[in-house]
Amino acid sequence: MTNRFASGRAALAVVPDTAPASTPSVWFCSHCGSNEDTEDDAPPSRVCGDCGLGVLLETRADIAPRQNSAFLVLDHHLSVCAVSAAAERLLATSETDAVHRHVTELLVPADAEASGPSNLASAVAWAANGDDASHNVTVRPATTFGIRLSGRIAHCSPPSGALLVFD
Amino acid sequence: MRYLKTSEAASLLNVSPNTLRAWERRFGFPKPQRSPGKHRLFTHGEVAALRDALQEGLSISSAVSRAREGLAADSNSLVGALVSFERERADGAIEAALALRSVERSVEEVLLPTLDEIARRHGTDSAPWAFASHWGADWLRRAQRLAPPPIRPVSIVLGDASRDELDPDAPYIRALELFCVRSGISVLSLSARGVSGIGDAIAVHRPNLVVLAGGYLSDDTVARWAYAVRLAAGAMPVAVYRRGDQRVRMRTTGTSVLPAGAGEAQRRLLELVETDQAAPVREPATPAHPASQTRATGTEGL
Repeated sequence: MTNRFASGRAALAVVPDTAPASTPSVWFCSHCGSNEDTEDDAPPSRVCGDCGLGVLLETRADIAPRQNSAFLVLDHHLSVCAVSAAAERLLATSETDAVHRHVTELLVPADAEASGPSNLASAVAWAANGDDASHNVTVRPATTFGIRLSGRIAHCSPPSGALLVFD
Repeated sequence: MRYLKTSEAASLLNVSPNTLRAWERRFGFPKPQRSPGKHRLFTHGEVAALRDALQEGLSISSAVSRAREGLAADSNSLVGALVSFERERADGAIEAALALRSVERSVEEVLLPTLDEIARRHGTDSAPWAFASHWGADWLRRAQRLAPPPIRPVSIVLGDASRDELDPDAPYIRALELFCVRSGISVLSLSARGVSGIGDAIAVHRPNLVVLAGGYLSDDTVARWAYAVRLAAGAMPVAVYRRGDQRVRMRTTGTSVLPAGAGEAQRRLLELVETDQAAPVREPATPAHPASQTRATGTEGL
């Protein structure tokens, strides 16, 4: 868009930013899910000050879990790295038992024919590799049929991983 | 070996002391030793390994398992060195373990599990086991010679009922001796085969407790040795260590059975001695007539 002076001469004008607005991010605890209120780029301590049993990770504010919500943190190998306290109850496991196990030992896609972003493995791999987009998935516990759990997967860090938050 | 108090370890990890104690309860790591005053003492190596792992972990659990894997690498490298008959490399592996752990933890977590692994993989009649057991016994004896002189008013006599250096129980018995010596206890280790001259040894050493260790010698042989000790020293507590399950089930009135782990056994020994020292003074027991000795084990409460 070009403005013109009253005399008719062209003048420069600010071009609207065409890049999408950056999604605000928050820091959350990998065990209790509490959000860390910090104005700095990174919280002063790596460990959650509330429960002391989780590390602080950053993720998109619209995906970030709330306190006492059920979620998992996975790495690019699709291995479980963290299980929230609520997810421990939901999946009948403990974090110490689940860590370093493949995610399919806990969860499997509820829709085996799903492909593309809604595929569990693809969504986790993309998120763990830094993809900013979030993906919706539907899963079920590996040893239980008839139960569907919907969730959202997004990138979290540091280090780079995938956050699966159950709805 | 550098030790850290709870506050120092928590400061290094940038957490509160309560958080560190919560990690110990939930994850069993870092695993502290206890000072004589029962205060926690963390090894610097473990705390540093956990601190580094926290920077790369997506959770405390994954950081703990990463730190554990790093520390467990010492055991794998020692196994590799011993099955390759490389003495210098084995010495280097145990030195690397000592850099991160105390002597007791290095023996309990690296040396003894390594020997168990070699015995399991190759059998106790194999060349790797012969080499490894000889190396282990040599290392434990050297470590014992480096221990400071006894400081506690506690003395034990240990009757070694193992076969020889190749006996799978022998490293555990040497480890128990080492732990006792390092904790300030005076240890007199004698083979349970011979009784000649035992009275002179007992008279000099004046033990507070007798330990019968190893399961190779028969009950009769051990009983004869135990009786000789009793004649020389009078009544005192008796403990058995790695004597085999079948003997544990036999009636051994007054005999304590020590846990299989050398560290736990040493702690139990201290408890037994302290309990006995706190008990009212007993009159010396009159040596019983040999005919009245029970046949079972002869270890019924010297």
